[in-house]
Amino acid sequence: MTTEPRHPHLLKMTDPPTIVGHRCVTCERVAFPPDPYGCEKCGSPASTFEQWDLEARGSVQAVATVHRHHRSTPVTPFTVGVIGLVGGPVVKAIVEGDSVVVGSTVEGFLTPGEQDDDGNVIVDLHFRVVQ
Amino acid sequence: MNAPKLLSDRPVFVVGIGLHRYQRRSDATYVSLGLTAVREALVDAGLEWTDVEAAYTGTALLGMGASRIMLSRLGATGIPMTQVENASASGSSAIAQACLEVASGRSDVVVALGVDKPRGGLGAAPGEAGINNLEGGSVVPFTHFALLASEYMNLHEVSDEQVAKVAVKNHRNGSQNPFAQRQKVRTLEEILTEPISGSLTRLQCCPVGEGAAAVIIASEDGINRLQIDRSRAMQVVASATKTEGLYGEGVGIDAALTAETGAAAFEEASLGPSDLDVLEVHDAFAIEELLYAEALGLCQPGEAASRIESGDFDIGGSCAFSPSGGLLAMGHPIGPTGVGQVAEVVRQLRGEAGTRQQSDARVGMAHMVGIGAVCVVHILRKP
Repeated sequence: MTTEPRHPHLLKMTDPPTIVGHRCVTCERVAFPPDPYGCEKCGSPASTFEQWDLEARGSVQAVATVHRHHRSTPVTPFTVGVIGLVGGPVVKAIVEGDSVVVGSTVEGFLTPGEQDDDGNVIVDLHFRVVQ
Repeated sequence: MNAPKLLSDRPVFVVGIGLHRYQRRSDATYVSLGLTAVREALVDAGLEWTDVEAAYTGTALLGMGASRIMLSRLGATGIPMTQVENASASGSSAIAQACLEVASGRSDVVVALGVDKPRGGLGAAPGEAGINNLEGGSVVPFTHFALLASEYMNLHEVSDEQVAKVAVKNHRNGSQNPFAQRQKVRTLEEILTEPISGSLTRLQCCPVGEGAAAVIIASEDGINRLQIDRSRAMQVVASATKTEGLYGEGVGIDAALTAETGAAAFEEASLGPSDLDVLEVHDAFAIEELLYAEALGLCQPGEAASRIESGDFDIGGSCAFSPSGGLLAMGHPIGPTGVGQVAEVVRQLRGEAGTRQQSDARVGMAHMVGIGAVCVVHILRKP
């Protein structure tokens, strides 16, 4: 039995966790999520990309608490934030805690989710407000 | 390369409109929905099906080959029929193709229709692209727009109640539209109940049901040859389509895309925002009307909420926004929505909108966005 990210190519299970994006060597655009096809800015193929580590830390640009959801997980209510990472890209992710507002500084942490058929624990990256 | 000005070199007109009411999913087949709209459009134009030279069907949910099994029941005339899928803008793109076909001189009379029935889920292709992200399935469309609302409300110090007043207005408009899925006047208190995501409540989110809408596009040659009533023919003076570019991190792509597409349409029509008397806007979620009012230049950034409150975007105001009820009240059955918008603009320009008539309407715009992201804008003018 192991513990692994839901999408291993998006996360490194470091402490604190690291978000994995890509950098286009041709035009230097840094983007998340890492793209398997090509660069939206200059059209270079993904074979020219290099992996680009992004600190899981940033500022909340928008926030919404979800009251209705079409799936059983996440359990409602849960809160989603738009987070401008310090490394540039903007991500959307679940933000835990009641104190999040636009402008909050947040950091990522790994949280266990469901188990897969082999009993492996799937973890997701959530964010919380930095006190 | 500068695009040839097809719509001014060979003008095109909407000469007929028809709808099947938007409604919750029923036992009615899409064929019966579509035929109702097309038959009504033919009667409205005073045309026979045999006068129609081509058909474009906007649909996103029906699957392959929707057109012939439907339209052949008007007579299997063998005309070219093409399905057009462009997410929520499918119907708008069907109209764009019909306008292009007539403006190019290939045909004189073309029908553009939209028809759809919900089948559970949207089946959007971007979700199958193999590009994963951190939020997984936690951000569905209403949460995407709830996040845009959060950003906008924080930036411009706009309250939940001010955003909700968009829905009050559009439900009031929809209550006067016999083709609307929602036909009830709603109070602000009613609008603010039943939270869905962020500040958005159920009545600030559009219903996705079933329905159909059709418009008939004709050239001047077609109007003259078939003796169509010229006084009820409204000219399409711009047809603009754009897809999302790279606007920079943290920039609202939906508003930026609308701003670009609207600017292209205004340039093609040699008109500006102040010329608009009627605007059917993609208000799938209440916040969108505020975002797009500003993106299209109808007011300055941060002003839209106060303009709504002042009544400036009511029927009778400087520009009537979504007099049909918009997506919020008329509904958003996907394929038909963009066609229904153009039908409403035509009805307004003709002066045939009854109790929801914007007085002396001479210029109107229909605006749709769709997953992908795509934006389609048409501008129509009373000749």
